[in-house]
Amino acid sequence: MAMDGSSNNNPEEFPVGCLLSIKTSLGDEFDAQLITFDRHSNILVLQEGSKPGPRRNIRLLKANYIKEFTFLGHGEDPLDIKKCQLDLTSLQAREESAIRQAETEAERIGVGVTSEAQNIFDALSKTLPVRWDKTVIVVMKEVRVSSPYLPESVSGGTPAANDRVKKVLDFERKRLQNRGGGQ
Amino acid sequence: MGCRNREFLNEDTSSSSSSSSLSEALIFATLCIIGLPVDVHVKDGSIYTGIFHTACVEEEYGIVLKSARLSKKGKSYSNVANGMVIDTLVILSGDLVQVVANGIQLSADGVAGNLAGDDTEAVVGIVPSEHLVSEAKKSTKSFIHKKKINQTRGAVQAENGFSHGFMPKISERKHEERKSHMNQIGHADGISSTKAEEDSGASDERQAGNDQSQGEKFIYKEKIDFDREESADEVQGSTSSSDTGLTQVKPVEDRHAKMTSQLLPNEASGDPATPLVKLDKPCCERPSSADTSSSDAVSSGLSTSSNPMVDVTSESGVSSLTTSTEMVPPQNPESNRSSKEFKLNPGAKIFSPSLVNPISATPAVPTVASMTYVPNNSHMVPVAASQQEIEYSTYAARPSVPVKYVPYNNLTAGNGVSGSQFSQPIVGHMGSRTQPLRYTGQYNPVQAGPAYMHPNSQAVMVGRLGQLVYVSHDLVQGAAAISPVSARPLLTPHQVQFPKHQGNAASQALPLYVPPPFIASGQQPFAVPSHIPTFQPPFPANRPIPVPGSNSLYNAKLS
Repeated sequence: MAMDGSSNNNPEEFPVGCLLSIKTSLGDEFDAQLITFDRHSNILVLQEGSKPGPRRNIRLLKANYIKEFTFLGHGEDPLDIKKCQLDLTSLQAREESAIRQAETEAERIGVGVTSEAQNIFDALSKTLPVRWDKTVIVVMKEVRVSSPYLPESVSGGTPAANDRVKKVLDFERKRLQNRGGGQ
Repeated sequence: MGCRNREFLNEDTSSSSSSSSLSEALIFATLCIIGLPVDVHVKDGSIYTGIFHTACVEEEYGIVLKSARLSKKGKSYSNVANGMVIDTLVILSGDLVQVVANGIQLSADGVAGNLAGDDTEAVVGIVPSEHLVSEAKKSTKSFIHKKKINQTRGAVQAENGFSHGFMPKISERKHEERKSHMNQIGHADGISSTKAEEDSGASDERQAGNDQSQGEKFIYKEKIDFDREESADEVQGSTSSSDTGLTQVKPVEDRHAKMTSQLLPNEASGDPATPLVKLDKPCCERPSSADTSSSDAVSSGLSTSSNPMVDVTSESGVSSLTTSTEMVPPQNPESNRSSKEFKLNPGAKIFSPSLVNPISATPAVPTVASMTYVPNNSHMVPVAASQQEIEYSTYAARPSVPVKYVPYNNLTAGNGVSGSQFSQPIVGHMGSRTQPLRYTGQYNPVQAGPAYMHPNSQAVMVGRLGQLVYVSHDLVQGAAAISPVSARPLLTPHQVQFPKHQGNAASQALPLYVPPPFIASGQQPFAVPSHIPTFQPPFPANRPIPVPGSNSLYNAKLS
């Protein structure tokens, strides 16, 4: 029954629910069950994994990037039409929260900084409010820690805040060092 | 051959929505991954990771990502720097190779389930029992939220019940219906709790007995509920959420029943002071409301306060605490805490017997610790001045204390401390009121009220605010009942303001936060008592403490 295809000429000939082993022209290789094939966009909708479970990996794959596929067997239609109802508002809510989370996470990542700088930033963020200003770590909105992020590179802020940041920075650097050495 | 199963679907699609040329299944799959992180492989081998925003479903299947970044650089030139976040990234159909979304549930259940969890929390207040949570995590979470809501509800009901009388019955019936759906265990629990009440009631004929029983019941119920919930969670998983909702409801009912029963006995006994009866009611309400309102945190707080009185309470406190933290592990530390508090309370007990001494009351207050008291006190002050005298007249022994009385009732009720005091034989009805005296004493000298308020508010934090809300209601009611004509005018304005606060507080209150506050709050209050005897000194000390947002309002009122 195996139909080794060097081409993707007729993926639509496979019934919905069939199991395929697919190699893409980009080098991906996976086994998946066909959920649908859309002729107009030439897209295969696949779900990875053969065993039924609530959480699956979904792939939307352009059929013309299939380099190779093997037919593994037949399967049930994975979609239950009765359950194909979605709540758009809830989808929007999900997206909004996801974007918000992504943005907050993105703000924590310095652009064009070394991983060491990022580690220092993360360490400081545990005890102090920090944000990136390009490659400068801004602590408590007033104290600036610029590369190379040593206690000497702390500037600005009130003397007390400045000292505090220096202390924390020194402490965190030592901790990072120990951790790196320990591991 | 292919797609024949859905042939009709496609036809439907084309007929119903002519704008879309894509198959319904593809659109469905697309919808299912909206708002989820996806990896998009493009023609040159690059991989972009972002949140799937939308797709073009006209002819070409282009997609839009939000907060996308380049996670794997392809071979061709790109103007996207590595690590840079692209707010909106459009990937045209021509460049698209593959969209990979991990861990997706391709059915309405998946989406609905996820969302349901979120929705449940919001909705719960309205229809707690009906929601099913698919995920265990969410179930626990929502479960907690439900508790909160239910409790709030309960508080509201309690208030209504007291004010209107009819409301509670209705709610009870509803609850009962739900109960029937519930496990039999629930009934058993209910029975056990009632027994406990009866026992306690039997032992103590007076109000004190009633109060204690309430406290105990409360605790028992909560315990039971928790147990149920735990078991439910373990066994049923998704269903548990609904059960919890129900169980929670129950306590409220029981309380109402208890309340009524308690009230009746008091009247029947025909205690000399009719005014007292009224007072008692508010007190009863308060404890119940506080428990309900504060949810887990509150319950724990209450239990601690009540602990001095009954051995059982300590256990209940533990159980409640554990539940709040989520299940068993926390219990040990919690138990220790409760035991500590308990120790502290015993001292309170000793003091409480001597009603005459204002100091004795103070210990009780500390146990109360919960923020709720503060708002009450502030309100109380104006009222107390007018009312105190009148009520006191009825009580011969207490003439000196009169002013204190009024405020205390409110406070004691909320804390459940009153119950502990009652336990001591001497106080009887009066016991609850005696406590108030201390507060009043403080207030009177201070008048400013604010200083006192601050400490409480700080300790309480958000969770307490919720409690406060309830208390305020109680106060109002109590005031209404207690206060003769003159007192009321003052009270009414205060009352109006409080409800607002309550609403906010309730919404803000987080169950998790509460537990730690309890301990702190409990301790702080203790410190206060020492201050109490010397009224003036304590206040300055309190003032330094930063005042929460809510405090400012209170202060204004007080001033």
